[in-house]
Amino acid sequence: MSPARDLMVVLALLGASAGVPFLGGDYWIGVGITAFMWVALTQSWSLLSGLSGYVSLGHVVFYGLGAYVVVASWEVLPIAVSLALAAGAAAVFAFATGMPVLRVRGPYFVILTFGVAELVKFVVMAAEAAAGNASRLILGTPEIETLFFLMLALAAAATVLAWGVRVSRLGHGLRAIREDEEAAETLGVPVARYKLLAFVLSACIPGAVGGAMALRNTYFEPLQAFDPMISFSMIAMAVIGGSDDLRGPVVGAACFVFLSEMLWANAPQLYMIILGLLLVIFVLFVPEGLCGRLFRSRGA
Amino acid sequence: MSTRRGIFNTVITAAFALALPLDSALAQGAKPVRIGFSIAKTGIFASAAPSQLNAYELWREQVNARGGLDTGREKRPVEFVQYDDQSNPGQAAKIYEKLITQDKVDLLLAPWGTPTHIAVAPVLERLKFPMVGNTAASSRLRDLKPGNIWFTTAAIPDRIGKELAAMLKENGVKSVALLTNVLPFSKEIKGFLEPALKSAAIAISVNEEYPPDVKDMTALLTKVKQANPDAVLALSYPSDSPLYVRQAKELGIGAKFQFVLIGPTIDFFPKLLGSAANDIVTVGEWSPARNARAKAFYDAYVAKFKEKPDYLDSSLSFLSCEILEQAVKTAGLDRSKLREAIGKGSFETINGNIKFKGVENTVTKTGFLQIQNGEVQQVWPASMSTAKYRPKTSW
Amino acid sequence: MIETLASGQLLFAALALGATYALVALGLNLVYGTMRLLNVAHGDLVMLGGYLTYWAFALGGISPLVSLLGTAVAAALLGALAYRLLFRAMLGARRTGPRVEANSLLLFFGLSIIAQNLAALVFSPTPRGYEYLSDVLHFGNVALTGNRLAALLVAAALCLAVVLFLRWHTMGLAMRALIEHREAAAVVGVDIDRVQIASFAVGFGTAAVAGALVSMTEQVSPFMGFPFTVAAFVVIVMGGLGRLEGGIAAAFALGLIETYGVALTSTNWRSILLYGTFVALLLARPQGLFGRRAVMR
Repeated sequence: MSPARDLMVVLALLGASAGVPFLGGDYWIGVGITAFMWVALTQSWSLLSGLSGYVSLGHVVFYGLGAYVVVASWEVLPIAVSLALAAGAAAVFAFATGMPVLRVRGPYFVILTFGVAELVKFVVMAAEAAAGNASRLILGTPEIETLFFLMLALAAAATVLAWGVRVSRLGHGLRAIREDEEAAETLGVPVARYKLLAFVLSACIPGAVGGAMALRNTYFEPLQAFDPMISFSMIAMAVIGGSDDLRGPVVGAACFVFLSEMLWANAPQLYMIILGLLLVIFVLFVPEGLCGRLFRSRGA
Repeated sequence: MSTRRGIFNTVITAAFALALPLDSALAQGAKPVRIGFSIAKTGIFASAAPSQLNAYELWREQVNARGGLDTGREKRPVEFVQYDDQSNPGQAAKIYEKLITQDKVDLLLAPWGTPTHIAVAPVLERLKFPMVGNTAASSRLRDLKPGNIWFTTAAIPDRIGKELAAMLKENGVKSVALLTNVLPFSKEIKGFLEPALKSAAIAISVNEEYPPDVKDMTALLTKVKQANPDAVLALSYPSDSPLYVRQAKELGIGAKFQFVLIGPTIDFFPKLLGSAANDIVTVGEWSPARNARAKAFYDAYVAKFKEKPDYLDSSLSFLSCEILEQAVKTAGLDRSKLREAIGKGSFETINGNIKFKGVENTVTKTGFLQIQNGEVQQVWPASMSTAKYRPKTSW
Repeated sequence: MIETLASGQLLFAALALGATYALVALGLNLVYGTMRLLNVAHGDLVMLGGYLTYWAFALGGISPLVSLLGTAVAAALLGALAYRLLFRAMLGARRTGPRVEANSLLLFFGLSIIAQNLAALVFSPTPRGYEYLSDVLHFGNVALTGNRLAALLVAAALCLAVVLFLRWHTMGLAMRALIEHREAAAVVGVDIDRVQIASFAVGFGTAAVAGALVSMTEQVSPFMGFPFTVAAFVVIVMGGLGRLEGGIAAAFALGLIETYGVALTSTNWRSILLYGTFVALLLARPQGLFGRRAVMR
């Protein structure tokens, strides 16, 4: 299981899918955007939660903040600037809240991150309501092909970032924290700093992804942009794919998107039920994820 | 790689092909007209959407019983292509994109609710595909001058504001308490209602907003009770409308004029609230007594679904189908002809004659309904009334 | 303003809210305390209880206060079944602490999706409601709707009963032992399997009863459960995971904060107030209001 080879495989896959706009129509480009979005989000989530064991149930907060930044700066700033700002805002928010939030552990951390995301959602909602906007519509967003390549780049960037963290001292430190935080601390791992760094790194790409999705949706409403289902989905994809594996998010996202395109059409409730069943089956029987199961024998 | 994608494509197409025949069993002879839409089958709007979907299904059944949709040259059976938007407007926009570009549907019907219509509008503009909207109203879209979406409802926020103020004034209301859910539609109405009340010289003695997930209104309603206004205007949504009524009853809010925005016309409302729902005024401009078509629709709906249609959403959804049907009869399925036919045509519906000016139905007057002894009656404007407004004297 | 705050009306609203929160959170806390399982499908049991009660009333004309016994038993059986089929194996696989928590979260999330969409498929998403005990009663200057008062009383009584059960009944004591010292409990011969099955049964049963009570005052729909799950989590985290009395206290505290906080500010601030308190409290006291460090290890 060499991480470098995993990186090559994932990047090759992403690179190959760059051909979609030349082969398929708008529909397949749209599917591609959704798939890349999930790869980027899940990869970022795994960087923190897969490695350190700090399970974030509130990662949507970065996504939502990014979307808000882009929508709020629409027609004020150039798109490139506001996207960078979206990533920056998410990172700053992670840095500011990281210190106190990361002191909280285990299930308390899980629920706390959820609470923070909901809190921010309601603050944004109140701010928007006070400003007299309940929702916003942005018109004249970039072409769907442009967004496709933007999202592809974000997915690739998230993958490279996740790879970089995994092979660095930071990655080893985070794994040590996951196994036993006290022990890691005694061994000289700068626990607080590493956790904070991972938190910030896992926040910036979701920020940009949120901004890009705002351009894609052309519509912004806090309830949708901060939908907790997005956080849940990241976790589910990571678990199905394998959370401590660079290929996990790609496999997980691919499974979800494939399933959703297959079933969602004619049997929406059935689609959700099958999704639920899959999750149950994976947690019970394949807790190491698809990657862990499929590639174990070859990799070891 | 391209062959791999090709396989992927084939697998997906095969999967769709396996799943589709369920819907197309009735297609014999003429090629069916495929009509696409997204609907909230899961998520927070799921509880509101059936009143719309039921109307669509009733219409499809009736059209197919008549031998199919008349496209001017021939009659073709109607087939639906529907997707769940999970109550997410962003998702709905993607669905309409898919319906148009991938499924290549012949016609579109509208999704549920204002936010969803707003989210879908840019897609319709980009792909130049006309759609008759129904369960939505926003004055904001009007300013963007779209050419591919129309609003059948007369419950456009600025007109509700003006008409409600007029109705209050006529009934001698001098002061109101205004309670607003912060969701888009209600917020927009509030924006127009405030100046309208002011120019009608009606005082707003309590003016409060609340979030969509409100669970208790005691504090809010205590303020209302102390202010003792002549009317309470609850700009509420189906999930919180019963909460307001229940707690207003508990506290014995004495205002004789009780307005509740969305919810009172839905079947569950009187079942849950019993006599407390009586004499509540709500927005709506339709009743079965409107005309013969309306009565026929009402009876067919009750027979098929064993419950009453939602006077607001079911009727709007059904009449949007009627408009589409009549426009297709003159213009066929060509999109630019259809756009012109809808924009310039005049239609006979379960709510009388409808014509569009810009994106709006300007013929139907904005009206208000009142629940009287369990029956929904039109009480405003006078020209459409089926009963006289009466003050709410008890809970 | 002062009048509003001092009136019994607001206090009643706070108590009614607190009692619902307490009852919903109780079962969640029990399942967490004894097994470290994070049941995010807990609110869906409220939904299920609501539907059972609605159908009993609509089809059989059975009073919710009578049918809630049957609802409780049905949900308790469902809990026992879920434990037998799904969770016993998972807990038996002896993994480390945090792993169980994260995995159970996902497992229950899967079950939650299944429950909601199955309900939407079977019952249709149309909201359902019925009218029961809707007359307004007056006590001095406080006005109460009969069904809210009944819900408050039943919820409070049931919370009390569960607390007493945990103090005096052998099974209750065994549950407590499991919550406090899992390993020690096993050593002194507590039949862990039986205690866990009982925790599931009581946890699911109380949630369904909460649903029965909620259905008397609110409409029932397939996707109504999630807000209850969230409220219950906020409550038990504030009270300290696994600390049942702490959870009950936190539930009433939350009811008071919500009602009086909203009265002092604006209803629009409700959620900000709620989550703000929750986040601030957890940052100040990472183990919850009544939690002890030893509990989470």
